[in-house]
Amino acid sequence: MTEMLREYLPILIFLGLAVGLSGVIVLASYILARQKPDSEKVSAYECGFDAFDDSRGQFDVRFYLVAILFIIFDLEVAFLFPWAITLGHIGMFGFWSMVVFLGILTIGFVYEWRKGALEWE
Amino acid sequence: MDSLTMMPALPEIFLAVAGMALLMFGVFQGDKSRHWMTWAVVACLVIAGAAVPQLADGRSLAFGGLFITDPFAVFMKELVLIGAVLALIMATGFNEREKIARFEFPILVLYATVGMLLMISANDLIALYVGIELQSLCLYVLAAFRRDTGRSSEAGLKYFVLGALSSGMLLYGASLIYGFAGTTRFDGLAEVLAGNDISLGLIVGIVFLIAGLAFKVSAVPFHMWTPDVYEGAPTPVTAFFASAPKMAAMALFIRVMIEPLGEAATDWRQIIVFISIASMLLGAFAAIWQTNIKRLLAYSSIGHMGYALIGLAAGTEEGVRGILVYLAIYLPMVIGTFACVMCMRRQGRMVEGIEDLAGIARTNPGMALALAIFMFSMAGIPPLAGFFGKLYIFLPAIESGLYTLAVIGVLSSVVGAFYYLRIVKLMYFDEASEAFDRPMGRELSLILVVTGVFTLFFFVSPEPLVGNAAAAAAALFGG
Amino acid sequence: MLYVACIFAPFLGASIAGLLGLFGKISDRGAQIVTCGLMVLSAILAIPIFIEVALNGHPRVIEFFTWFDAGTFEASWGLKFDTLSAVMVLTVTLVSSAIHIYSIGYMAHDPHKQRFMAYLSLFTFFMLTLVTAPNFMQLFFGWEGVGLVSYLLIGFWFDRESANAASIKAFLVNRVGDFGFALGIMGVFLLFGSVEFSTVFAAAPDKVGMGLEFLDVNFDALTIVCILLFVGAMGKSAQFLLHTWLPDAMEGPTPVSALIHAATMVTAGVFMVARLSPMFEYAPDALMVVAVVGGTTAIFAATIGIVQNDIKRVIAYSTCSQLGYMFFALGVSAYPAAVFHLMTHAWFKALLFLGAGSVIHAVSEQQDMRHMGGLYKKIPVTYAMIWIGSLALAGVGIPGLFGFAGFYSKDVMLEAAWGAHTGVGQYAFWMGIAAAALTAFYSWRLIFLTFHGKPRMDEETKAHIHESPKVMTVPLMFLAIGAIFAGVIGYAMFVGEDMHAFWGDSILILPANNSIEAAHHSPLWVVLLPLIMGILGIALAFYLYMTRPDLPARIAARFRPVYLFLLNKWYFDELYDFLFVRPANALGRGLWKSGDGAVIDGVGPDGIAAASVAIARRASKLQSGYVYHYAFAMLIGVVALITWYLYARAA
Repeated sequence: MTEMLREYLPILIFLGLAVGLSGVIVLASYILARQKPDSEKVSAYECGFDAFDDSRGQFDVRFYLVAILFIIFDLEVAFLFPWAITLGHIGMFGFWSMVVFLGILTIGFVYEWRKGALEWE
Repeated sequence: MDSLTMMPALPEIFLAVAGMALLMFGVFQGDKSRHWMTWAVVACLVIAGAAVPQLADGRSLAFGGLFITDPFAVFMKELVLIGAVLALIMATGFNEREKIARFEFPILVLYATVGMLLMISANDLIALYVGIELQSLCLYVLAAFRRDTGRSSEAGLKYFVLGALSSGMLLYGASLIYGFAGTTRFDGLAEVLAGNDISLGLIVGIVFLIAGLAFKVSAVPFHMWTPDVYEGAPTPVTAFFASAPKMAAMALFIRVMIEPLGEAATDWRQIIVFISIASMLLGAFAAIWQTNIKRLLAYSSIGHMGYALIGLAAGTEEGVRGILVYLAIYLPMVIGTFACVMCMRRQGRMVEGIEDLAGIARTNPGMALALAIFMFSMAGIPPLAGFFGKLYIFLPAIESGLYTLAVIGVLSSVVGAFYYLRIVKLMYFDEASEAFDRPMGRELSLILVVTGVFTLFFFVSPEPLVGNAAAAAAALFGG
Repeated sequence: MLYVACIFAPFLGASIAGLLGLFGKISDRGAQIVTCGLMVLSAILAIPIFIEVALNGHPRVIEFFTWFDAGTFEASWGLKFDTLSAVMVLTVTLVSSAIHIYSIGYMAHDPHKQRFMAYLSLFTFFMLTLVTAPNFMQLFFGWEGVGLVSYLLIGFWFDRESANAASIKAFLVNRVGDFGFALGIMGVFLLFGSVEFSTVFAAAPDKVGMGLEFLDVNFDALTIVCILLFVGAMGKSAQFLLHTWLPDAMEGPTPVSALIHAATMVTAGVFMVARLSPMFEYAPDALMVVAVVGGTTAIFAATIGIVQNDIKRVIAYSTCSQLGYMFFALGVSAYPAAVFHLMTHAWFKALLFLGAGSVIHAVSEQQDMRHMGGLYKKIPVTYAMIWIGSLALAGVGIPGLFGFAGFYSKDVMLEAAWGAHTGVGQYAFWMGIAAAALTAFYSWRLIFLTFHGKPRMDEETKAHIHESPKVMTVPLMFLAIGAIFAGVIGYAMFVGEDMHAFWGDSILILPANNSIEAAHHSPLWVVLLPLIMGILGIALAFYLYMTRPDLPARIAARFRPVYLFLLNKWYFDELYDFLFVRPANALGRGLWKSGDGAVIDGVGPDGIAAASVAIARRASKLQSGYVYHYAFAMLIGVVALITWYLYARAA
């Protein structure tokens, strides 16, 4: 039991560090920075809308397109990492499997491109 | 065993590659390509259909055992491909008229079909999931294909949200099963279940898995999406939904329940019995009050899946044969019915009300006759094909001692006959309203004639179909 | 190929004319050409088949594929051609071809020509599948098919109430017979474990004396089965007690009457018994029943025929009577004689009917002979044809020299009945002799009333009298040739010295029952008696309707009860109305009003329907349209299933 807990100890330490560090940073910004809030400054800015609002408000669908494209390539990278590490073990079959996968993704990408999904205006 | 060969999966690989190539052609040529795209996809599907039985050599594995082909898979794949081809052909004229024709449509159907073929051949929980998702993602898009109308978008969104929920359940169940059994392979699971007493976690996992699968065949209580999606989706898409995916999902359902979970049959039989009864009853009763023909057919399909599940509840080789016969008969019947629905056009606009069918026997006798044949067949009136479907389902149920199930099935088919016959009565005995537009289109007439003749004259020679179904069912049990 | 084409050509014609006609894609002319063309093609093909199978003696069976295979019950689609089938196929196709062509003229003014031609061809097709059936199932298929199309044809003029009633009556009465037939087939399966003719016939001798337990009484199984099958034949062939539909079937267009009465439907029963001779031969009691029913029908129908006034009804009752002849011939094991008469009868009866149709056509759809008379100058061809038909029907001829068709076939049946030297044989013989006189009488009564004497129609009709067009008279002449020569040509083959070689294995006659052999050694008076009776009948008709036309009415008045008894067909319709129809109606009404309406409907359908409606309303309310309701339902479903599952496992 203790053996298992000890294995998780680094995670606990990371957790503590993260909480502590973020706390310190937030506190520091309160203490050190000059506070001069206005309505634009306190509003959420992440993707252009309020965090707490009616969810039926209209927004530009292009945000979604970009987000989805990002996720696809994000996942691709997530796949590529373990593949790169184990490439020595899985041989040519593994190599070509990934090439096929990338090819399929590329076809999707070409399709998007031709459809004009990447043009903002 | 751990062969990395891909030969048995060649039809699927061919379809996938062809789909990508066609997609590229389409996107570079622009929307003009839609004129030949349908026929290109149909050609690919036909080639795959021809290749499937050729490449199947008894029971063979591919991709290290994740993928399996056997006579059962071949039988179901042929059904799926036939359904897809017919639905595609039906869609061409409709999409053009309704101005929603795009070259992506056939490609989406193609990929959905690949997903279904994968489902049928899945021999592993992961492969199962991948197949289901490939199919479902395409279907979500298809449901919302007419994206400028609210109903179609709503249908797509509902289907997507609920589909995601059911996928979640299925995955959760699969992970529980993996956690408690230690394998995702079907043959491995069978071994685990054969040896030991089944643990609680495994049971919960199996129930979640069943819930996910039941969603795909739209069995009660996981059916709620069906009427809304059927109504909202464009009619050819609905026709496709009602045919090919049902075949695939049912095939997957059968394979999962018989092969890996066969040893636990006494445990899951109760669930299937419940689902089956609930589906039959709901399908029979809820349809009575519908005024929209597509909604009515949605409930009818729920009911039909309930009947098919009777065979699964029996859990015997004859039961599975019954399901296969039932599905093979259901497929042309439902395609033909939807072909009739697609003929319901007045002054260039589609109408979907059941009342709109009043008196069309006088104005459109050919279509009325065809629809009457399908309705009588769905109601299970001999000597039409639908009767044989029900016969081959009820017999094994009785042989397995599931009398309650059989009796409820017969009773609910009596209730169901009411709304089928009401349509016939409307067509033949009510005052004629305006005629439907003529001509109904060559491809629709062709499909009506082919499916109608099959339904009408099936009784002349049921042997080939039943024989093949029996061989397919035997493959599942023979090991 | 030849064989298949011969059988399926009419079906093809019916399909083309019927289906295309339904959608209005084929013209009247087109439908007529297609159906007639294919029918004639079928008839032409039947000739080489007849030569190959019957004359050269090469029977064959063609199997298509298995129809049913459930447990031990197996039946297949196929064609069985032996001499019996070949004779039937030839007769049916030839006569049917003549009727098809005749119909072009007869139905010239009808708006539904395609439908009519399609029905005719379909009818012929079903008859052909019936006579070529290799097993009981296909026999039954053709049997029911013939019944179905006869219903459609008799009720062809669906806007006439009487036609509808007649078609329903024909269908219902046939159903009674078919019920017996179906029971018989089940009995065969029970007894033999197979419905294939070859298996059953081979096993029949072993089943003699086998018992069948029913209600604690032991019956002879084979006899029971044969009698049940014979009940089916009685229905189809309108034998005594089940004959009532036949005269009413006159409501159909005349070509239909000809088709039903001459070559097809009604002969199905005769064919069936002949086909099943290997079974009937081992069931002597059943044969006795057949003979008695046949003899009774022969005399019974003839007595009615002498007083009918409707020209088609007279011929209809003569058909009934002639079928009686065939059955008593079957009953004394003279199967070849019965089939021989079936064949000759097909020719002259089709001739008579089509001739009557020609008469009706001439006098503006009038069928009552009391409104005819004196027609012979106006329509000489038809007149001649009716004469030939009547001569053949009455069996006129000079022994040893030449005779019309009926002369050979009828005499051999009567002689066989005599030659059987049994009680029932004697009964049948004397009934047949009496019927022969009556037959001649009513035939010439028909001729005299229709063609001679003073014209009794109104002026307008009189002005319109005209001979039928060529398309009608040519088939008549074709049939007339058959009516004249069919007997003399067929005699040697069917019942004469070549008999055994001709029939081969298709008919079985036990040596002890060989009545035809005995028939050839009948005393002279037996040979001459039918002819004498016939001539007496003709003479009597001449006296009553030509020299003393006032007499018949006086006789009718003098023997009024007898006259009414005969005119009302022995009151059979009234009897059945009293015995079956009205009690059934009363019972039905009672059950309907009190039983069904109050009890069953109240609790059952209406109650259940009300409940269904309520459930249905609720069930559709479940469908709220909100995604979260749906998702909730799914989750509840999973939880409920798991709970139940665990609960069930714990229990």
